Amino acid sequence: MKASIMITCLGEMFFPEVGVAMVKLLRRLGVTVDFPPGQTCCGMPLFNSGYHHDAALVAARTVKLFAQAEHVVVPSGSCAWMVKTEYPGLLKDDPALRTQAEALARKTHELSQFLVEVLGVTTVASPFQGRVTYHDSCHLLRGLGESRHPRTLLQAVPGCELVELPGSDECCGFGGSFSVRLPEVSTAVLDKKLANVESTDAKCLVACDAGCLMQMGGGLTRRGSRVRALHLAQVLEPGEIA
Amino acid sequence: MTTRAEFLSGLRREMAKTRGLFEARTAERPPDADLVFETVKRQMAERWPQALERFQAEFERVAGVFHRVARLEDVPDVVRAIAREKQASRVLSWHPDALGLDLRQSLGGEGLSVTLAPDDDPDGEARRVHREAAAEAEIGVTGTDWALAETGTLILVSGRGRPRSTSLLPTTHVAVFDRHQLLESLEQVGSMLEALHADPARRMSGAVINFITGPSRTADIELTLTRGVHGPKGVHAIFVEGR
Amino acid sequence: MSETQLRTPFPQRAHAALGDAHLQEALTIATTKFIGLRKESFAGYPAGEALRDRARAIKEATLQRLDQHLERLADNIERLGGHVHWAATGDEARDIILRLCRDRGVRMAVKSKSMATEEIDLNEALEAAGVKPVETDLGEYIIQLAHEKPSHIIAPAIHKTKGQVADLFSKELGGRFEADPEVLTAVARKELRQKFLEADMGITGANFAVAETGTIVLVTNEGNGRMVTSLPRIHVAVMGMEKVIPTMTDLMIFLSILARSATGQKLSSYTTLVRGPRQPGEVEGPEELHLILMDNGRMRQVAGTLREALYCLRCGACLNVCPVYRQIGGHAYGYTYPGPIGILLTAMLEGTGAVKDLAHASSLCGACKDVCPVRIDIPRMLVELREQVDREKIAPWGERMLFGLARRAMASSALFRLGARLGRLAQRPFVRNGRLQGLPFFFGQWTRTRDLPPVAARTFSERWKDLERP
Repeated sequence: MKASIMITCLGEMFFPEVGVAMVKLLRRLGVTVDFPPGQTCCGMPLFNSGYHHDAALVAARTVKLFAQAEHVVVPSGSCAWMVKTEYPGLLKDDPALRTQAEALARKTHELSQFLVEVLGVTTVASPFQGRVTYHDSCHLLRGLGESRHPRTLLQAVPGCELVELPGSDECCGFGGSFSVRLPEVSTAVLDKKLANVESTDAKCLVACDAGCLMQMGGGLTRRGSRVRALHLAQVLEPGEIA
Repeated sequence: MTTRAEFLSGLRREMAKTRGLFEARTAERPPDADLVFETVKRQMAERWPQALERFQAEFERVAGVFHRVARLEDVPDVVRAIAREKQASRVLSWHPDALGLDLRQSLGGEGLSVTLAPDDDPDGEARRVHREAAAEAEIGVTGTDWALAETGTLILVSGRGRPRSTSLLPTTHVAVFDRHQLLESLEQVGSMLEALHADPARRMSGAVINFITGPSRTADIELTLTRGVHGPKGVHAIFVEGR
Repeated sequence: MSETQLRTPFPQRAHAALGDAHLQEALTIATTKFIGLRKESFAGYPAGEALRDRARAIKEATLQRLDQHLERLADNIERLGGHVHWAATGDEARDIILRLCRDRGVRMAVKSKSMATEEIDLNEALEAAGVKPVETDLGEYIIQLAHEKPSHIIAPAIHKTKGQVADLFSKELGGRFEADPEVLTAVARKELRQKFLEADMGITGANFAVAETGTIVLVTNEGNGRMVTSLPRIHVAVMGMEKVIPTMTDLMIFLSILARSATGQKLSSYTTLVRGPRQPGEVEGPEELHLILMDNGRMRQVAGTLREALYCLRCGACLNVCPVYRQIGGHAYGYTYPGPIGILLTAMLEGTGAVKDLAHASSLCGACKDVCPVRIDIPRMLVELREQVDREKIAPWGERMLFGLARRAMASSALFRLGARLGRLAQRPFVRNGRLQGLPFFFGQWTRTRDLPPVAARTFSERWKDLERP
């Protein structure tokens, strides 16, 4: 089984440790991992702000980068969503690119979905210890319809105690550029989320999206919280908790 | 002012620019409304006991008060008891032809004043008189055209001898029904409405059909539920077994 | 919303809302309750999901033959003795009503809740013409006394605490009333009962109009909808042209999911089917019935990007789950319709320019689409509005420059890598305890309230070299 890593722009620059954890995890599960060079961004920030022509150029570039991949694994629900649902439409005017985009959409998977649905793995051994709570990122939950697999994987780690986060399906307030266009509203929404997080007494807050982790993690450290924001990959492969 | 022709031709111009978003169909209608009407009646002739049970449960869930009597003649006793409980004395009733019962005969003269809705062609004076009575009535007694089990809803068609305000202005609404009015689902209601409107012989004598599900309510202040905003504060349904 | 208020930029209006403690409390209580009620209702209704799909299909199919359905509706209403008016704009709709009032000697009109009449600022026009409009829906009555606009599509006064309502009633009606919803409701019942009986005209909206039978459908809870359409001698209904549906069978499908989506009820207390003016033999009912079919920006969207927004049932479910609405409430949006669907409707009614800020008042979380009874893809249309704003160059040049840079960095891995290196250099003065704080320029919008992780000392690509196997 071969898989190519789509590291995402945030993963590349701010959370490389998540990428490294993902690589080690996949290799441990018998997957041959490669990393197509020259990756930048999936283009979602351009798309969401309405710069569709530009987003299409980025999509075309990405599609070509991953043309040879067997499977593409992404540590981010929103980027996986972008590739799977929006790329074909963005490239609809070029039949060849559109076909490639559809192929890429089929073979691209968010990490938890790859583990459970493609690898058929629901139990990943991990020495992680502690109470965790899980946040449903909007694009993974509603865009890709996924809420079960991350929880299944977390619950299967023996030292991990998963408690449900009240309002787990409520937005964290990131929303990409929303977080800086309307920072006050974004922060108010975040405060509501973090109050719920603190109420669980969890040691770690887990999510499958770098944007959410930046927002929630940034809020947690700013308020001096003892709760750590971690990516799912870092719970399953804890050697990479920076 | 825009004419109908101008409005519609503007609309058709816009419609011509698109085929729409996806292939879609409206709801499938019963091909033969009369046949469905008869079918539903036949089904309910058998299934009415379950429907009644369900109706009671749902009606009570929306704060309705359910009563059951053996015969139509027992209805005035229930009304009398409600009047006593509410310390009410002014009763407004549908016309006996519409209700099947003359409450002025059975209740009048016991400290209860009963007004009957007129059923002849009303003139301005008759309307004024009726409006005054309706505004002062404390209990309104009506029949029921359909009782929907799925939601605990009373469906009343307005018309001659069956004014709209009898179930609206008084603080307490009392509706009388029997097994012939029971329906199970909103879907069946739809079929009955199709049949009702399609058949000129079933012409309604009034312009309004009201679906009444419990008393008047609001939660406009802090989402706190209160009853009896403009319409009745209490709704009673009396099921008559014998009919 | 007044002109002055609209001139306040949206972020400022949002800021004011965030600082209003009463509003914040009221919003949390109300939206949380609504969310719970809706969830519970659909959880106990497995048939609901398929019915939502069917409802959506009916809306789309109806639009595909909208002209025929409107004609059928009009023919039927006229056959029953009613009048149908065709208003291209809100101004026209208002003029039709004012003319009717003048010709029929109307001095007082009682109103049942109607967002369509809010949309056209009917009350102000009536007052200016010497006709007294009386709002009878409790929430609308409250905001009319307070000289405010509704802050929620179905619960207009939800931004007020009961204490504020009690104070308002005491001030405007004279007397001292307890901050008890039961007491306050009884006050409204008494005040308004006389008005129903004396009014010359009743004005409503319409939740649906059934083309096949010429029936106007009102979905209400209080009973004022019934009063207003039975007691005054004239009934005027103002309806957006997209509200027509073909048959009674279609109607049942919408009724099965509308109240559930709005308030969690199986059905609202009253669903009223009005078929023309009163019939001979009826002792009550209006002598005249007028239906005003209104375009006011809707027709243009039949073939426009906001076509799907024409499916809207005005249930308010999207408001209740929207993280933005839940924080800032309805008034901050600045227009008649707030919340996610409100942004689309504002663009429909007022043009793209009106939503250059509002189109971004969303984290695109998708909760609205999730709860919409007819599954309107609101996030997609918000993104399309953003695209229009960009295309029409309404977005500020600074933003377009920034996105231009971003685009170039995404198109070239060399530029992207350079960006990371420059970031690492530039961030040095701002790194504290392994986090970025106090950043300048628009990055400060983030770091004012949140830390940011620094650009990693080694990016993933740089670390890959160690991970690569031969």
